[in-house]
Amino acid sequence: MQPSLALVALVAGLVSSAAAQSNSGSITATAQVQQPINVLGAVNLSFGNVFPGVNKAVLLTDAGAGRFDVTGQASTPVNLAFTSLPTNLANGGNNLPVAFSSGYNTANSAAGATSFAPGSGASTSLSGTGALFVFLGGTVTPAVNQAAGTYTGTVTLQVTY
Amino acid sequence: MDLCRRLVLALAALSAWATPVAAQRPLTVQGVRSLTFGTLLAGVNKSVLRTDAINGGQFDISGPSRASVLLTFTLPASMAGPGGATLPLSFGSKDGGWSPPQQIGTQTGFDPRAPFTAPLDQNGKVSAYLGGTAQPTANQRAGSYTGTITLTVVVLP
Repeated sequence: MQPSLALVALVAGLVSSAAAQSNSGSITATAQVQQPINVLGAVNLSFGNVFPGVNKAVLLTDAGAGRFDVTGQASTPVNLAFTSLPTNLANGGNNLPVAFSSGYNTANSAAGATSFAPGSGASTSLSGTGALFVFLGGTVTPAVNQAAGTYTGTVTLQVTY
Repeated sequence: MDLCRRLVLALAALSAWATPVAAQRPLTVQGVRSLTFGTLLAGVNKSVLRTDAINGGQFDISGPSRASVLLTFTLPASMAGPGGATLPLSFGSKDGGWSPPQQIGTQTGFDPRAPFTAPLDQNGKVSAYLGGTAQPTANQRAGSYTGTITLTVVVLP
């Protein structure tokens, strides 16, 4: 009687083994989230006092030059585009014609900046620490009968990966 | 003596019965390719198709010839990142697929969120594929995120 019981147990074990064949494997899901881009209007472009009929230019390296500070993912390509680039500074209904110049540098130094046409934009890369500096200069051309007053305009820089 | 004879006959019968089971190819499941979302921007979803031969997930399965197998994915709701940050993941009703081995272009789609039955071919092989969508939040912390996806396969009787 005992051998028969042992046999039943053995058979049951084989049946169980055949019906429960299963296995598993794994893979990983991966993603890299980039640092968001921040653009700070750090320094305004200032032409100071100008006189009717006398053009005045501010170079990228001048004290009055404007500057945008950009931060984002280190060593990552970015596109620079000025989405607001006025052709005039305004004082109420009076306009003061203006044209701009621009350049970028991964260091905060206008002297070493790479120039680009503001209307065309540029493509470059953030520094190894994720920094970029964009400098803005320009020239105002007041008319001989330019009305006195304070003229302002807004320049907006858009930076995208 | 009679008992011994019956035992011998029973063992012979058992041997004949057990032979087909022993001849079956063992079931293996191999994770071949990770599901790779690459570079993401905060607040911008990114999907990877199961037909993506570079970024889509893939498992290769081997087992008994022409057997039916039950595929069950264990899908994470998110990937883990720096400082305990998590990045939500989602899987849609067409993000799973199977095909004969190495034929990613001829997949049959299925919902990976539920168990699904697929056939092994005459060589006992099938490949399973997986796509999905990563959903970084608007303030998603920058850095690397990973998660584990497991496929459990059972040979159906």
